[in-house]
Amino acid sequence: MSLQEVAPVQAAEEVRLSALRRLTQRLAVTNSIAMGVLWLITLLVGALFIYIIVYLIVEGVSTLITPTFWGTTDAGIAPQLFNTFYILILTELILVPISLAGAIYLVEYSPQGRFIDVIHFAAETLSGVPSLVLGMFGFLAFAVYAHMGISRLAGALTLLCLNFPLALRLFEQALGSVPNDLREGALALGATKWRAIRTVVLPSATPVLITAVILTAGKIVGESAALIFTMGLFNPSNVFTLNPLIPSNTLTTWLYYLKGPGAGSTSLSSSQETAVAAGISAVLIILLLIINLSARAIGRLIQRRLTAA
Amino acid sequence: MQVTESDQQAEQHSQRGRLIDRIVRVLFLICAVLLVAIILAVIFFIASQAYQVFFQGATLKGFFFGSFWDPSGEVSGGAPSFGAGGLILGSVITTICAMIIVVPFAIGTAVFFTEAAPQWLVRIIQPLIEVFTGIPSVVIGFLGLVTIIPLMQKISAPITGNIPTGGYGWATAIAVLVIMVIPTTLSISIDSLRAVPGSVREASLALGSTRWQMMSRAVVPACATGLGTAVVLGFTRAIGEALAVALVLGGSQIPKWPWTLAVFFQPNVNITQQIAANFQESAGTSQYAYWTLAFTLLVITLIFVTISRFLSSRSVYK
Repeated sequence: MSLQEVAPVQAAEEVRLSALRRLTQRLAVTNSIAMGVLWLITLLVGALFIYIIVYLIVEGVSTLITPTFWGTTDAGIAPQLFNTFYILILTELILVPISLAGAIYLVEYSPQGRFIDVIHFAAETLSGVPSLVLGMFGFLAFAVYAHMGISRLAGALTLLCLNFPLALRLFEQALGSVPNDLREGALALGATKWRAIRTVVLPSATPVLITAVILTAGKIVGESAALIFTMGLFNPSNVFTLNPLIPSNTLTTWLYYLKGPGAGSTSLSSSQETAVAAGISAVLIILLLIINLSARAIGRLIQRRLTAA
Repeated sequence: MQVTESDQQAEQHSQRGRLIDRIVRVLFLICAVLLVAIILAVIFFIASQAYQVFFQGATLKGFFFGSFWDPSGEVSGGAPSFGAGGLILGSVITTICAMIIVVPFAIGTAVFFTEAAPQWLVRIIQPLIEVFTGIPSVVIGFLGLVTIIPLMQKISAPITGNIPTGGYGWATAIAVLVIMVIPTTLSISIDSLRAVPGSVREASLALGSTRWQMMSRAVVPACATGLGTAVVLGFTRAIGEALAVALVLGGSQIPKWPWTLAVFFQPNVNITQQIAANFQESAGTSQYAYWTLAFTLLVITLIFVTISRFLSSRSVYK
């Protein structure tokens, strides 16, 4: 820019050079300041993440090693742990087939265009609905209108609504990662579309599909707001059954109850409530770490298999 | 003879295959359409409950601008009053304040992370973000209760006059929301920055820009719509966040006007906290009032989703 402004006069050359030098200097200084600020911000955010994770685990450790924490009294989380895994499996049993079928239709059968756009728009909208509002919908639709009552089944169906968009997107990505040659090869051999999907596409997408299921599992384990109206906050006396029509709490909703509406109304003292809540937080974080690490391990496995092939 | 028989068999076989193919196709179509059915059902069911409160004593103006929320009539002991203005204001203020803090941190980190961070830092922070995105909201709420509230109480003691409930309220809710929303906004920003092709960076650097110029003049403008989407989705998450905020708000009414700075440090309300605390026990007219709140929230998030969709439809790099 200064090239055009400065006339090609001998004396002006000096001025031009020093102006350029000043410009570069200014740019370098701005650059260093900006990079310093960005470094600082990033380190702050990273430190915040690490601090919170470490703090929650450390805070919970003393509770984790007390035996009563794993028992069935108010101070124990055995029922909540059972319910969490129960609801996780029940939800995945409904969620995986339905969303996988939807994803197969979108990736393999449906022509590109309007229809896919409509589905994607619906998915985005649904994933934007706050989980509390979705919980109210689940209460009305499943617990009241469908006469399921406040029950595990109503909770699982609400979680289906909540996780459908995410699962659909992940499954679509998984199927999309299968190279087209495989499909065309199978079709060229005279297989029907479904046979090609069943025998060629799904098997080669399996590892990615498993990663996707693990990722939705993390979301189901951590969900709370959608469950407080659909599954309730309390357990019946015989909680260790597979009956889907009883209300029950999970790790997250029990944590909410202990420190929120139920604080002071359980058989525990206030400091015990806090200790149990800290223990539950630590358990949840550890569960999520396990889920995340296994998803990563499978991801690496896929990579190795692909690069080895 | 032999040949025709096996031909017939093959023909039957493929006919059956085609039939199965057709059935499967219809089944899969139903599953895909189910998604549309769910979102329509959500909107319809909630709307069908939401309007009824206006036929049972509430007025539109009173609902959205009134400041006394007592739909069951328990507090006043008389007629219920449906002033949700304070609740809505609570949601709006906490969300906006939280996002004002989140945006520079999330986008700054995302830009640094994708453009300039050394490899070792990426390797540490990438899994951290992934884990952190999944942390349950109640756990963050618990963290807010045991660490942020005592901190806020200490900070605000000179302003609030050291009331015992000091520390609960908007300020803590904002802090909790910041912790909850940063990972969301950050990871979406990173995704959209990564979608900007390397040629944009190379072109900028080749023209002699410094790193900072490359980021601020080339990469960020190139993915402005992507970053906009990330911010809008952050808003969506913040305004819908329920239990974490409910744990640290701890109020039942919005404080009386006039406000000082102390309003941020005393028990307060927002939409989700009131729903979470009272929906289950409510009945009849009072329950309709909570449905109306839910519908308000639903409409707000639908608007956000539409904005984010509009933004991403205009983005160049996906």
